Amino acid sequence: MNVKINEDWLATIIAFVLLILAMVNIIAPSLVKF
Amino acid sequence: MTTSTIKQEQKAAPGVVNFLVGLAIVVALAFLARWLKGQVYGIENLFGWGVPGKVLEYPIWAALVGLVANYVLKAIRFFEYPKSGFRTELFLKIGLVLLGAGISFKVIITAASGAIIQGVIMVAAVYFFSWWLGGKFGLPDTLRAVMSTAVSICGVSAAIASAGSVLAKKEEITYVTALVIITALPLMVIAPLIAGALNMPEPVAGAWFGGNVDTTAAVVGAGTIYGETAQQIASIVKQTQNVLIGVVAFLLALYFTTVVEGKKEKPNAAIIWQRFPKFVLGFIVTSLIFTFGWITKDASGAIGGMKDWAFCLAFVCMGLELEVAGFKKMGWAPVVVYLIVTIFNTLLALAISWLIFGWLFPVSL
Repeated sequence: MNVKINEDWLATIIAFVLLILAMVNIIAPSLVKF
Repeated sequence: MTTSTIKQEQKAAPGVVNFLVGLAIVVALAFLARWLKGQVYGIENLFGWGVPGKVLEYPIWAALVGLVANYVLKAIRFFEYPKSGFRTELFLKIGLVLLGAGISFKVIITAASGAIIQGVIMVAAVYFFSWWLGGKFGLPDTLRAVMSTAVSICGVSAAIASAGSVLAKKEEITYVTALVIITALPLMVIAPLIAGALNMPEPVAGAWFGGNVDTTAAVVGAGTIYGETAQQIASIVKQTQNVLIGVVAFLLALYFTTVVEGKKEKPNAAIIWQRFPKFVLGFIVTSLIFTFGWITKDASGAIGGMKDWAFCLAFVCMGLELEVAGFKKMGWAPVVVYLIVTIFNTLLALAISWLIFGWLFPVSL
């Protein structure tokens, strides 16, 4: 199966998943410290 | 490294494994860039030149390791296989949406108001100057259209959008794309140095980078090197300018179908939405979430870290994706036009951003 998704929407979805994971404390600041 | 050696590589259809291998390379290089930055960041006097190590921010290291890897992968004929994992735009857009979660919506409104005025003046002035100069140098209309859109709006994506509207040749797009990236990389480093020498306030410098540097990645890079406020304002200004892509693509399609080709049917205005950078909506929503106070201090730290990682991956890819092979085909006239227009763009953006962000719409964070 070849599903094509617009890169803008894909980036937005990934960013929101990361945002929500940070907001519910699943991703801690120490884990992603740059 | 020559074009012929690249062509000799085994070309496999990109699949999930190719993507994952590419992604692993990019992540490893991002770790390397972060490590290099850490090694020099605390040094007060770099190489005895009186330059503090902290001026070498991570965008410079990331682009540099990307460039070296680009050369090495091509030399060992292992560039095509992982190429589908080199995704500058994807990582950049993820970083920009996350960046929104640290900017108050009020700042976006203030900066975007200035950016709209700056964008309209810049896009119109630079577009028509580039179109006129390209005509003087005898460039074909399609190349002039693609180049003018790229230099006046936002580099690669604008070039692709306008190429669709004017039915430009594939090599013209490749050529302009190479020009955009080759000039954007040095500008990413030089523009913050000039801003520092001119003692520019961060919002003004950010607006200047946003209005002047051609690719969004290099704009964010220049802003990051100069400071946090500069990064935010540069991103807002550039995204506001990116929104204009659809409008310009529509106007170009209208001009080329009715004036150049003499057809009666008009292009569909739906192109404005098709070319609209949808991630900007994500950027606005995350800013609203931040403005409503729904992001705790801990979450904010994590989001900031992920944003920096996403940008670092984008800068690594920027170095990896630099392609100069298609450059020699069209001669030097377009290069001369492009460089003159870039200088014009730089000086005009400097004056306009100082006027708008230093006086008309001063941004305080």
